[in-house]
Amino acid sequence: MEALNEIIKKCNELAFDLNFTRAKEWKKQDNSRVLVGYMPIYFPREIVHAANGLAVGILGGGDKKQIIKGDAYYQSYVCHMPRGIVELVLDNHLEDFDGFVFPSICDVIRNLSGMFQLFGKGKFVKYLDFPQNFLPEVGGEFYKSELQHILNEIKKINNIEITDESLQKSIELFNKNRKLTEEIYNIRSEFPWRITAADVYSIVRAGFVIPVEEHNEILEEVIKLLKVENGEPLDKIRVIVIGAFCEQPPLSLIKTIELAGCYIIEDDFLLGSRWIKGDMNTTKYSPLDSIVRAYLEQSTFSSSVYDVDNPKELRLLNQLKERKVDGIIFAAPSFCDPALLDHPILQKACDDNNVRYISFLYSENTGQFKVIKEQVGTFSDSIKLWA
Amino acid sequence: MDNKLYTIGVDVGSSNIKIVLLNYSENPVIIDKDSEKIRKRNPEMVANSLIDQLLAKHNLTIKDIAYIASTGEGEMLSRKRGHFYSMTTHARGGIYYSPGSKTVVDLGALYVRAIKVDDFGKVIDYKMTGQCASGSGQFIENISRYLGLAIEEVGETSLKSTKPELPSGICAVLAETDVINMVSRGISTPDIIKGIHLSIANKVVKLLTSVRAESPVTLTGGMAMNIGMVQAINELAELGKLNLTITANPDAVYAGALGAAIWGGFRHIKLTSKK
Repeated sequence: MEALNEIIKKCNELAFDLNFTRAKEWKKQDNSRVLVGYMPIYFPREIVHAANGLAVGILGGGDKKQIIKGDAYYQSYVCHMPRGIVELVLDNHLEDFDGFVFPSICDVIRNLSGMFQLFGKGKFVKYLDFPQNFLPEVGGEFYKSELQHILNEIKKINNIEITDESLQKSIELFNKNRKLTEEIYNIRSEFPWRITAADVYSIVRAGFVIPVEEHNEILEEVIKLLKVENGEPLDKIRVIVIGAFCEQPPLSLIKTIELAGCYIIEDDFLLGSRWIKGDMNTTKYSPLDSIVRAYLEQSTFSSSVYDVDNPKELRLLNQLKERKVDGIIFAAPSFCDPALLDHPILQKACDDNNVRYISFLYSENTGQFKVIKEQVGTFSDSIKLWA
Repeated sequence: MDNKLYTIGVDVGSSNIKIVLLNYSENPVIIDKDSEKIRKRNPEMVANSLIDQLLAKHNLTIKDIAYIASTGEGEMLSRKRGHFYSMTTHARGGIYYSPGSKTVVDLGALYVRAIKVDDFGKVIDYKMTGQCASGSGQFIENISRYLGLAIEEVGETSLKSTKPELPSGICAVLAETDVINMVSRGISTPDIIKGIHLSIANKVVKLLTSVRAESPVTLTGGMAMNIGMVQAINELAELGKLNLTITANPDAVYAGALGAAIWGGFRHIKLTSKK
């Protein structure tokens, strides 16, 4: 237990270090290394790794950064995360980064990529448009050209051209990372009392800012420790938390939900690290094509993906069954259009299938949880006593 | 060990911890109850000491207890098996003490909640005060301290009032200033206290109206032990023609802990039958 606590403490420090100290140290060890910051949700980190780089997740200032300048760039009806990111860049937290990638989610992130271009930070800024056409010869080719664009930008910095071998090796490392992360979620699903959702969050989030090799070692150690029984099951309900895929909830919010009588068995926090379901298949396609195919064929569901042939509400209900969950908590950031536009569709599916749910809004710097605690607590009571 | 199904409910309040030992069945029986002031100590330590004392007194061990349920601010208790929310537990405790009640009003130290319940103690609807100290038991405790009264004396003192003096009632800070002003103006202690009671009762009556309370109404929580408070609520309800029978059981302060113990037993059976 002490060993696990030590790892969690270390992961906490790494995950919430707004100066990205470990990533910057890593870069200093070799002149050809590059740091590429990427915003939520998903970015194929494999390509940066293969080009001797580290893709660093930039998830906002959370509740650890006071927003002063950031508010000047966004209207009051825009979510909080981009303000935090603007604050970070203007306060020089992102110095030493060579480039920034803005995967397409919504207009706010698109605008943020424009602001970064105006700030002149980094050597390149790329708005990464994901295909909404899932035919390999259409969307696949487009996506491949988008990835190639990023690789070209990195090559301009360190003159490294990736090879199939180097990309293959990177894919294997990230396949392992996804597998280990999934295993932790599986253990937690079976024995949720062994580790809290907040601790799992910190462990997974640490992987956003350190080399994948180091993160894999951490995950392996955590799994080894989680296989040993510790603690006792409490009488709580099992829930999925959904809606938090981009702007991250404060750690205290995750703790509050669990304190209020729930085990968070499944969630979409840090969704990018679990975006691809299963391994990328490099036996059938070239390594770069396998990354493209994985996106087209193995992506999880999310508000930012057009999924008319594979509706997200059905996938949510399947997840509910697979994880043997009692109810769903829709927790979306305030003013998050993608999440909030999805809620009526998802909630209708819940109503039609007698799935219990509640919903509330948060922002990354929410500090008052009394009302949320009351709401989640009574939700938990109602399921425990009357379901 | 006998065949009884023992459960314990622990209600961690802002100033007191209440505990109930129960023999759970379709007709639950309270075996014993106790409470203790926290007095700036670690609430978990106080709760554990209360649990240990109760177990020792009844020659029981922790293994004899099927379910320890916490409520109030008791989420952090490590010995608990489950936690229930104050609204859920007060609703159940309220109808145990006053069977047939249709509405339970939890007069707590920090909040007041008006809860409509069914015959099983299930919450049907509720309304509660916002985070304003002037509508809470903590406010009365503060005022009684200023006036040099023990909290137990407050109720009786209020009954002696002949000309209640109402505070501004907008917020605790202003109301406390009002009270200082009243003292300097020579207003008698019973009239000040009665004025405070009426001010809180006014909020309670508003909650009862907005939740469309049905009679009979039972009061729970620490303030329900205060006969001056109960009388003030009744006076204003009558004045507002709410046509409600409002009563409080002398043990109403234990309603939360009792409700937790009852739901703990209920939940224990539900979990056991699932297996």
